[in-house]
Amino acid sequence: MRRNASTWAAEAAAVFVKEWRCEFRTRYSLNTLALFAFTTLVVVSFSLGPLGVSKSQGTSLLPVLLWIILLFSVAAGLPRAFVQEEETQTATALRLAATPSALFCGKLLYGLSLVFALEALVTPIYVAMTSLDVASPGLLVAVLAAGGYGLAVGSTLVAAIIAQARTKGTLFSVLAFPVLLPLLVLAVELTRNAASGAAPDVALPQLLLYDAVVTIAGLMLFPLVWNP
Amino acid sequence: MKKLFAWLLWLWLSLVIVGAFCYAPLAKGFIGESSRILFFHVPMAWVSFIGFIAAAVWSGLYLFGGRDPKHDRAAAAAIELGLIFGVLATVTGALWARIMWGAYWNWDPRQTSLLISLLFYGAYLALRAAVDDRETRGRLSAAYALLGIVITPFLYWIVPRITYSLHPEPLINAQGKLEMESRMTQVLLASGVGFTALFFWIHNLQCRLQALLDRRAAL
Repeated sequence: MRRNASTWAAEAAAVFVKEWRCEFRTRYSLNTLALFAFTTLVVVSFSLGPLGVSKSQGTSLLPVLLWIILLFSVAAGLPRAFVQEEETQTATALRLAATPSALFCGKLLYGLSLVFALEALVTPIYVAMTSLDVASPGLLVAVLAAGGYGLAVGSTLVAAIIAQARTKGTLFSVLAFPVLLPLLVLAVELTRNAASGAAPDVALPQLLLYDAVVTIAGLMLFPLVWNP
Repeated sequence: MKKLFAWLLWLWLSLVIVGAFCYAPLAKGFIGESSRILFFHVPMAWVSFIGFIAAAVWSGLYLFGGRDPKHDRAAAAAIELGLIFGVLATVTGALWARIMWGAYWNWDPRQTSLLISLLFYGAYLALRAAVDDRETRGRLSAAYALLGIVITPFLYWIVPRITYSLHPEPLINAQGKLEMESRMTQVLLASGVGFTALFFWIHNLQCRLQALLDRRAAL
């Protein structure tokens, strides 16, 4: 059956709206994600001590810790999107209701909004608490956007894979981290550039390319993962 | 015929071992006899690489070509062997690095890329272990293997920019010529052929064994 573009977009939007409606009923992901991120942030900041790190050390060290906080927070909250469908046995209904690619985009949009909300919460507090100097804020925002997108799309695809396995919690980290590692390396490098004011050179196009490649892989592989 | 092949392979690899220690000369600029590890380390890394590529091809055949359990078994066996040879390449490389560079591990780009590939292999096997249903297992792990093969090129692209390399030039370098003594080249190529044959021989055995196990499980 051929579906036209407007039905496809409507399906994706419906999935997105449904995700947020379910989320507001329990607030599971929101609460976990926000609290997990904030707790880790406090632990990191407190462990660095009241004086923090010196300015030269900070430029190389602090971006690493920021991205590790983001990565682990995403791993704590995002896999729910698919795991829940399998646990409450609503996956079959969803298979009947939406085309796989529209479903993937709807879930991705939901993950993306969650990650962006997380970044908007964590980054300002982190910058303030660790007194990280940001020489080019524009670049930082661009890195958070591109890196956050990569985190969301990679996690959504891996979450769809692990939802059908037995041990879901730990398996997500095992499967997702090798996939997200190139992204993380690039995002850390670019955040360092943003902190020191250096030009982003080749790392930014590489990050965007990573995003594009994982999106295409997601759109191609998701229907195969999703439909038995 | 199969038996003859196994004996020939044994003879070939024995000759490679003898050749590596008695026929090939030592490379210049290496401490002691350490350059002889080349004849085993490079083919191991090569075979590990083949395992990864072959697994992706079989995974693609499984997903897009009619879901034949044969392809799923082949992909899984290729990853298992790739993991074993990858670990061997890492260990032999680390031993050599201890002698030449003074430390077992120093995040050389090659060490880093291989290590991350090993994480992928490990994750793939963890995924397989976590799914009971055979069809689901094949489908999910094939998708993960294909995801892995599109991600790894980034490593070969990004990692060398971040850490600098002391690793000796690859066999085929940028200038496209072999800078090696001819007897060394002969032994290395013979070893590469031998290890590749060894890989496919064990792979074939593993696939047949797994097919029998699957058949017994279905009874």
